Amino acid sequence: MAASSKVITEWWLQRVTAVVITAYVFLVLGLLMVKGTPNAMQWQSLFANTGFKLATLLAILATAYHGLVGAMHVWPDYVKNRAVLAVLNAYTWLAAAAVALWSVYILFGTK
Amino acid sequence: MTEVPTAPLVKKRERPVYRNIGFAQLANYRLPIPGIASIVHRITGIALFVCLLFLLAMLQMSLKSEAGFEVFRSIIWANPIAKVVLLGLLFAIVFHMIAGLRHMVQDSTAWMDLSAARTSAFGVFALSAVVTALVAWRLW
Repeated sequence: MAASSKVITEWWLQRVTAVVITAYVFLVLGLLMVKGTPNAMQWQSLFANTGFKLATLLAILATAYHGLVGAMHVWPDYVKNRAVLAVLNAYTWLAAAAVALWSVYILFGTK
Repeated sequence: MTEVPTAPLVKKRERPVYRNIGFAQLANYRLPIPGIASIVHRITGIALFVCLLFLLAMLQMSLKSEAGFEVFRSIIWANPIAKVVLLGLLFAIVFHMIAGLRHMVQDSTAWMDLSAARTSAFGVFALSAVVTALVAWRLW
């Protein structure tokens, strides 16, 4: 894929993921505002609901990608040392991958 | 023949000029509010990304068992410093979200003139402060 087309895809996905995350944050903050602080049982039964699990997974995966693209764009504006930049980029990829895999484990793994 | 005035009739206001801003000048340099919104959008984004793994760790603990949930409530949420950090992250996500929505409006070239850019940047700060305060008040 040409470099410019990759950037345009990133630009769009950055916005699509932003909308997905925003919808999820509105949902969660709305629930908290309406129902107040949950206790253990309410919290865990919310996350036992398959629809809510899938919404959470979608939001976390969107966040991992959104953060990956965002951080990769922000670092080189402030970090000019190539070695430090390489470390930050590697950290960013690892953290995004870890978040994506871990979220699947937390939501759908065995307890 | 009358002399043509060379000096401008209205004297221009003296403005400070910043080129390659030096460290000593930082005290006098004030970023305009759309610039502040932009840099805070970046800082909150990086902060959220860095804290994401810790937030997942807390989510995992809160879902693992009733005891895990109680550890969060009685040890983390009951700790004033941890509570301030978590409410700071709440502000970060609310601000980042609202500032991001403003940037998407600006993608459509709306709110690009100076006064709208200033007003909307101020609005982002005000709205995110109000939303954060409401949620914090509800969860306290």
